[in-house]
Amino acid sequence: MDRDEPDMNTALMVDGNAVAGQLEQIFGRDMTMTIARCAGCARDAQLGALMAFIRGPGVVLRCPACQNAIARIVETPSAIYLEARGAAYLRMAPQG
Amino acid sequence: MVQPVLEWQAGRVTAIRPETRQTKSFTFALPKWMAHRPGQHYDVRLTAPDGYQTQRSYSIASPPERLREIELTVERIPDGEVSPYLHDVLMQGDELEVRGPIGGYFVWDVRLGGPLLLVGGGSGVVPLMAMLRHRAAQHSTVPTRMLYSSRSAEDVIYHDELNGMAAANDGFEAFYTFTRQPPAGWTGYRRRIDAAMLAEVIKPFDKRARVYVCGPTLLVEAVANALVEMELPIEQIRTERFGPTGV
Ligand SMILES: Cc1cc2nc3c(=O)[nH]c(=O)nc-3n(C[C@H](O)[C@H](O)[C@H](O)COP(=O)(O)OP(=O)(O)OC[C@H]3O[C@@H](n4cnc5c(N)ncnc54)[C@H](O)[C@@H]3O)c2cc1C
Ligand SMILES: [Zn+2]
Repeated sequence: MDRDEPDMNTALMVDGNAVAGQLEQIFGRDMTMTIARCAGCARDAQLGALMAFIRGPGVVLRCPACQNAIARIVETPSAIYLEARGAAYLRMAPQG
Repeated sequence: MVQPVLEWQAGRVTAIRPETRQTKSFTFALPKWMAHRPGQHYDVRLTAPDGYQTQRSYSIASPPERLREIELTVERIPDGEVSPYLHDVLMQGDELEVRGPIGGYFVWDVRLGGPLLLVGGGSGVVPLMAMLRHRAAQHSTVPTRMLYSSRSAEDVIYHDELNGMAAANDGFEAFYTFTRQPPAGWTGYRRRIDAAMLAEVIKPFDKRARVYVCGPTLLVEAVANALVEMELPIEQIRTERFGPTGV
């Protein structure tokens, strides 16, 4: 667990809901009610309820139970990188 | 229902209204306006002449019943990058890039019912106001209490409108706490929101309350922790942290 990473300043933390626009841009739908299972502690949380750190060069989403980094998003002028090693899976309602 | 793609659009400023010393409300006419759910936000993007871009999120203050335009209320953070621009530079008739409405997590509408407890600090009252304006527009009588922390009475955003709503006697009550300078003769709360205060305000609703907490991150942290210790079911607590802003 990387608790002491520089992005983990509690006063700067927001909710995953604050990244809803970026997530919707990537997935084409609202993702804030999508469940992520944490690969670290196996607990479930809605993406909107994750701990979000948005003041770094990218975005880091962390598990509210164990602080494990569930996903990282970095945008460059030519690409969006979404690294999600910290998620066992995402579970979302089908659209339609 | 397939959602339309979230796109940036140019919102035109049709009105700017000072709310308090530190806050202003901006009305934007939107060419691709879409009805929002109370509590949702828009992202605002600024682009410098050299191409540098920066963006921030702002909650929608207006209810979805207001068509084709949205209102945002912004607190001026003196050393901030975006909010001083909105306050000091943006003028009526200007255009601003926005995208939204965004976020399905921090939302309430009358179909969700209550009893409802809204807890806000500083500009954190903005999305709560969208919920209250929607509740009023729908003539809802869902039992609703708001606990609102401000530095002083002059810093209470939407004060007159909130007093009007409370006077309507439709099941809405507002509780204020002043952290720096309570008005003369004030007999109510005069400290930061704490567990004892929350317990008093939530009392008639007990563990049935649906709670929305919004404001500076440290305030939201304190309130959310206190609610969890009161054993309020976690699914009934929704938070929106604004970051290191204000209060
Ligand atoms: C979902 C959501 C909804 C929001 N809704 C509203 C709203 O309705 N109204 C409203 O007024 N605000 C709202 N906010 C806050 C808003 O998005 C901005 O954060 C706020 O306006 C400040 O932006 P700024 O560019 O003016 O200041 P910034 O330049 O972002 O700085 C803000 C403050 O944080 C400090 N700061 C910034 N970065 C760091 C850092 N890395 N380390 C330490 N300190 C730092 C600065 O010194 C400054 O004091 C919302 C935030 C979110 C996430
Ligand atoms: Zn975890």
